[in-house]
Amino acid sequence: MKKILRFYVVIFLSILVFPATALGHGVEIDYRTTEAIEITATYDTGEPVSEGQVIIYAPNDPSTPWATGKCDEKGRFTFTLDPSIPGTWDVQVRKAGHGGMIHIPVGGDEAAAGSTGYTTPQIILMAASVTWGLIGTALFFSRRKN
Amino acid sequence: MHIPDGVLPTSVCLGGYAAAGAVTWFSLRKISQKENPREGIPKASLLTAAFLVASWIHIPVPPASVHLVLNGLLGVVLGYYAFPAILIGLFFQAVMFQHGGLTTLGVNATVMGVPALLAYYLFRLRNTFGRGSRLSTGLFGFLAGAGGIGLAAVAVFVLLVTTIPAHMDVEAERASICALTLAHIPLMIIEGVFTAALALFLQRVKPELLEGES
Repeated sequence: MKKILRFYVVIFLSILVFPATALGHGVEIDYRTTEAIEITATYDTGEPVSEGQVIIYAPNDPSTPWATGKCDEKGRFTFTLDPSIPGTWDVQVRKAGHGGMIHIPVGGDEAAAGSTGYTTPQIILMAASVTWGLIGTALFFSRRKN
Repeated sequence: MHIPDGVLPTSVCLGGYAAAGAVTWFSLRKISQKENPREGIPKASLLTAAFLVASWIHIPVPPASVHLVLNGLLGVVLGYYAFPAILIGLFFQAVMFQHGGLTTLGVNATVMGVPALLAYYLFRLRNTFGRGSRLSTGLFGFLAGAGGIGLAAVAVFVLLVTTIPAHMDVEAERASICALTLAHIPLMIIEGVFTAALALFLQRVKPELLEGES
C-alpha cells in the first residue's frame, strides 16, 4: 500500500515538475498580426547602447512602467504597443545613468519612423556659433580701453 | 558624466539646483570681492568654450567610452570663475546638444563644479609646499586635474547607484554603473597630465594667468 502511494506521489510530482513534457501532446497556436516597433539606441558617439534597459510608459499612466525589456547587443529592441490606448507613448532607454527618451504617437498622427537628436552638420553649426559667442565675449572684455 | 533628464528623481534634481544656487552665490561673491572682477571674464569665457567642446573628445576605455570633462583644469586656471563657467557650459550642452539635461543642470553643475573649486584649493597648496617650483606646479597640477574628474566620477556614481528605480534590473544597472565609473581612472590620468602640462606651460609663458590667487 505504501509502495503504491509512493508511486502516485512520484507520478504527481513529475507532472508538476515537467508540465511542458507532461502536457506536450496537443498544442494549439493562434496567430494575429500586430504592428511591432523597433527602436535602436546609440550613444552620441555612434556606439550602440548594448543591453540597455528599456522602459515603456503608456499615455494614460506616465509614472508607472507599462512594460520593461532589454536591448540586444546592437542596441535594438522590438515591441508592440497597445493600440487601444491612443496618445504619446514614452520609451526610455537607459544604461549606467546614460539614457534618452523617445516619444511615439499612437492613433491619430502616427509616423512611420522618428528619432531624437540632431544631424552632424546641425551639431557642428550650433557648436561653432556657441564657441564664437564665447570667444566674442572674451574679445569684448579683453579689448583695450581708450 | 552628464546625467540626462528622466534618470534622477525630482527631489534630487531640486536638491541639485539648491546646491548649485548656493555655490554660484558663493563664487560670485568671491569674484566681486576682487579688485577688478571683469579682468577674469575673457579667460573664463575662453575656457567655457574649451569645456563645451571637450565633451566631444571621446576616449574609448573598453567596454565603455568616456569623454574629457576638464573641470579640474578649469578650477586650476579660473579659480572662483570655474563654477559659473561650468554652469554656463553645461547649460549650452543641455539646451543645444541634449548632453545632460535642464532638470539635471543643477545636479550636473554641482557634481562637476564643486570638485573644480576643490581642485583650485588643492592647486593653491603648491605655494605652501615647494614655493611654486616647477616640480610642485606639475605635481599639484596633476593632482588637481585628476582629483577634479575623480571626485566628480565618485559623486555621479553615488547619485546613480542610490537612485536606481525598482522597476529596472537593479543588478545589471549597478554593474554597468560600476564599469563606467572604473573607466574614468584612465581619464583621471589623462586629465591630470593635461592639467599639469598646461599649468607648467602657463607658469613659463604667462604666470599671472595662474597666480593672481583669483
